[in-house]
Amino acid sequence: MSELLVQMDNVSKSYGPVDALGGVNLKVYRGEVVGLLGDNGAGKSTLIKVLSGAVKATGGTISIKGKTVEMNSTTDAIDHGIETIYQDSALVTQLSIARNLFLGREPIKGSKFLGRLDEDKMAAVASELLKEVGISKDIPPTTPISALSGGERQAVAIARAMHFESDLIILDEPTNNLGVAETQGVLQFVRNAKASGHSCIFIAHNIHHVFQVVDRIVVMRRGAIVADDIDPKTTTVEAVERIITGMDS
Amino acid sequence: MGKLSKLLSVRPEVGPAILLVLLIVVFTSINPKFLSILNISNTLAFTVELGLIALAMTLLMTSGEFDLSVGSLFGLTPVIMWALFNGTDIPLELAFLCAIAIAVFIGLVNGWFVTYLKIPSFLVTLGMLLVARGTALYITDGFPQRTWNASGEWLSGFLVGDIQIGALRLYMSLFWFILVAVLLHYTLQKTKMGNWIQASGGNADAARARGVRVDATKIKLFVLSSALAGFAGVISSIRTSAANPNSGTGYELEVIAMVVIGGTALMGGRGTIVGTVIGIFILRLMRNGIVMIGVPGLAYNIFIGAIILGMMALHSWLDRRNQSRG
Repeated sequence: MSELLVQMDNVSKSYGPVDALGGVNLKVYRGEVVGLLGDNGAGKSTLIKVLSGAVKATGGTISIKGKTVEMNSTTDAIDHGIETIYQDSALVTQLSIARNLFLGREPIKGSKFLGRLDEDKMAAVASELLKEVGISKDIPPTTPISALSGGERQAVAIARAMHFESDLIILDEPTNNLGVAETQGVLQFVRNAKASGHSCIFIAHNIHHVFQVVDRIVVMRRGAIVADDIDPKTTTVEAVERIITGMDS
Repeated sequence: MGKLSKLLSVRPEVGPAILLVLLIVVFTSINPKFLSILNISNTLAFTVELGLIALAMTLLMTSGEFDLSVGSLFGLTPVIMWALFNGTDIPLELAFLCAIAIAVFIGLVNGWFVTYLKIPSFLVTLGMLLVARGTALYITDGFPQRTWNASGEWLSGFLVGDIQIGALRLYMSLFWFILVAVLLHYTLQKTKMGNWIQASGGNADAARARGVRVDATKIKLFVLSSALAGFAGVISSIRTSAANPNSGTGYELEVIAMVVIGGTALMGGRGTIVGTVIGIFILRLMRNGIVMIGVPGLAYNIFIGAIILGMMALHSWLDRRNQSRG
């Protein structure tokens, strides 16, 4: 068994009288790709927001590599090695690929006071990363994000997570609004991330996409995890759909 | 056509640069005195004072915010400086520092309202416009301040002294303008701060999620905007020997027009100091040129409005073209 990377114990989240999460337990191991499935309102997004620091849990604990941590902000999560990639990639479309990759952690050349960006280093690393995530087209790192396709944007976001040595990459509906070829591209990026030792939590409405890349499927219903060890190799899409909708009981 | 539109997309200042050259050619061909040394000298003196405000506004607008109080600070800051100098025993240097410190404080207040109270900068600075203008009128009873005893002060020479190169008379304010333009261009294009400014205006949530201190960045830019507006007002008051509490009225819109014409995005995320410098000269040369070729000066706003609309249409078309290729 590989290293236990993330452990959520009895994590809950309430919005006033509404319990969005009711005592969830989840484990993610190093190098594992976990598919998180559930119908609308099942609690997937809330769980991910808690884990990515976007909202604070009402109760429970989160441990990273065996240490209990506080998740008060997205920067806390990034500092603990958790990177979240949203549907819209959370990139700045006006900035170049290289500047997005290093946003918030820009390498400085010369005096720190002058704060001059080390653009040569940024461009070299960006070119290398784009190849690593599998972008085959020759795209200069100075290209603005606005000139990229949806799939390429997701690739840049994944490249950023990989470069900054994130242990866990959370992909929240990364294939929404993408064409067939672009979706396959994003799925390949996930496989590449796993191959380089990163763990992933993959959330998608399209179960077929999830089945193609994950090692294990976790299903949520009404703010709780109802199945957490489904092997996609030994089960069917229909069986998982029955669990999601509650038709299995 | 394809190459030109690509160039215009990558370098938003190219479109305004073409327009500037066209204006110079048209005005000079109708009235050759347009490029006379005397006319250049006169145009430069006032242009760079307004230009200082436009340079700071470029960075602020790139971060996605506006400052409508700059015209009022242009009037208030010199009024405070001269009221202190004339009404107390403090030296001009100290009065200058006090006045700039008050401008900085007003910038901090603007920034705090926008970032911590989450009130749109349009409304905050509109309120501050009235507060600053009202203060200038109240403390002067609406009368201009005495400035003529500044001639013996080294500070006035340092800020607005002039040098004569042949028939060309250049003011120190041109030096300040060039210095600030170079510094802000460097900051916006080459530094970490510049990256944060563009990210704050392009996608503030994404920037915050990466650890960019969006609020602190914006507050610094509000301070810069107020400080440079006050500095420009002081320079103007010494050059014209008049600290009028009403001076700078309406400058805020002219400055925003300069910035937008230069290619800085109205909604933030993209800015160019080079474009703003071109935008500054387009507006000032238009004002000067249409009078010199015999068009009534009252028609000035028609041309400016048309140029703003034309430039916005060009940048919008380029943006859409760029997006649809993605």
